[in-house]
Amino acid sequence: MEVRPIDDDRLLETFVELADTLTDDFDVIDFMHLLVDRCVELLDVDAAGLLLADQNGRLRLIANSDEQVRLLELFQLQSDQGPCLDAFRTGTRVSHPDLAVAGGRWPRFAAAAVDGGFAAVDALPMRLRGEVIGALNLFRTNAGELTDKALRTATALADVATVGLLQERAIRNQEIVTEQLQTALNSRIVIEQAKGLIAERLGIDMGGAFAALRGYARSRNLKLSEVARAVVAGTTGTHDLLGTPALTNRSKM
Amino acid sequence: MIENHRQRLHALLAVNGDHSIGALTRICSVAVLELQVDGAGVTLVSRAGTAQAQQRLVHASDPVAARLEDLQLTVGEGPGLTAVTSGAPVLVPDLAAARARWPAFCPDAQHIGAAALFAFPLTLGAIALGSLDCHRTTPGPLSPDHVACGLLLAEMAFEALLAEVAGRAPDDVGWISDIHAEVHQATGVVSYQLGISVQAALLRIRAYAYVHELAVAVVARRIVDRSLLLDTEN
Repeated sequence: MEVRPIDDDRLLETFVELADTLTDDFDVIDFMHLLVDRCVELLDVDAAGLLLADQNGRLRLIANSDEQVRLLELFQLQSDQGPCLDAFRTGTRVSHPDLAVAGGRWPRFAAAAVDGGFAAVDALPMRLRGEVIGALNLFRTNAGELTDKALRTATALADVATVGLLQERAIRNQEIVTEQLQTALNSRIVIEQAKGLIAERLGIDMGGAFAALRGYARSRNLKLSEVARAVVAGTTGTHDLLGTPALTNRSKM
Repeated sequence: MIENHRQRLHALLAVNGDHSIGALTRICSVAVLELQVDGAGVTLVSRAGTAQAQQRLVHASDPVAARLEDLQLTVGEGPGLTAVTSGAPVLVPDLAAARARWPAFCPDAQHIGAAALFAFPLTLGAIALGSLDCHRTTPGPLSPDHVACGLLLAEMAFEALLAEVAGRAPDDVGWISDIHAEVHQATGVVSYQLGISVQAALLRIRAYAYVHELAVAVVARRIVDRSLLLDTEN
């Protein structure tokens, strides 16, 4: 199998962007989307998702590269079992190069992953010193190990993103970090509510609705959660989203 | 661990007074005990974040909590109102240091006798019902465990408020924190279909689940895959 080389210029650019968390309008959701999108773009992986632990220690999906329903289910399952949960609990990388034979460890997860067309998975803890705040999940449709370089790159990306988030914590304080994380968790719900509204209004699937939302936010340099809120409040009409290029490129469901 | 926490809080709520006392009253009492604060109050807000915002004090555990809620209502600002609009808890370990954020609220709140205030939103995405505000008469932060507990109690208060209006569905306990996204997507779908707010849409989904004795998640999934269409009647 041919391995795609890593675009070093783009990688460097990504590191610079991930290190830039001290801006006034820093947004956890947009930041995490940057991380998962670049993982898929730069590494030899087919889908990526990021789960962060909430105040009660439960893993919750914050960002995903792809809206495929079966993939979302895989992220969601991992609040119960799966490589992300293991990586989060142990603080170490958890990889499985061939999910077809992973049944014993995470039976429900492995079955759902294979069913969704995935053959291999890697989960990297979001960790700085003793603190683990979540995990990055990488899926591939072909079985086999990630290359060393890809693994090291993914680890470096996850580390830089974690430092970015925790640096906030050092500079501001614990209260602000809690508020920020909970805001992100609640924003994720607003995004889901907006997706439902857009999907029904435009007669498209949830993946298409997300693409429209995101295309609109990107083309106008707005935060995803702000656009979602405006859609739910009715101040951004769903017809406004129609002109976005992303909508013509509907994601699979 | 989370489930143990939740079960313990539910048990505490069950023993804390009989059911003739409202759920919110019991939640405030449990908050005072569990978060080791001096008082707690719940204020409901409608049309949060707009010029037509209206607040209604629902319960306060003591006179200081009642006066704090009144104060937010009078000056139109405060940690509770910020929590409602942001959808995240607002943790203020020292009100004296927060005057820049709420210039009208903080001095009077201190005068009333509060030194720290921790506000937990009763929200679910864009649906904002109000806040659970807990105060201390001495400054100092809440421990992470207490913050976790406050968030759970706020979830329970949200559930209790919906149950009051739309009845109790079979999976009522803890469904809000269900990580599956369908219930939120279904809320958006129904909101558009019936031309109603997301809050009203969630109540409709809940009421349907209650009447048909189905779990909220099951009803939501059917709405999202378009095998169930709620009409204006049911």
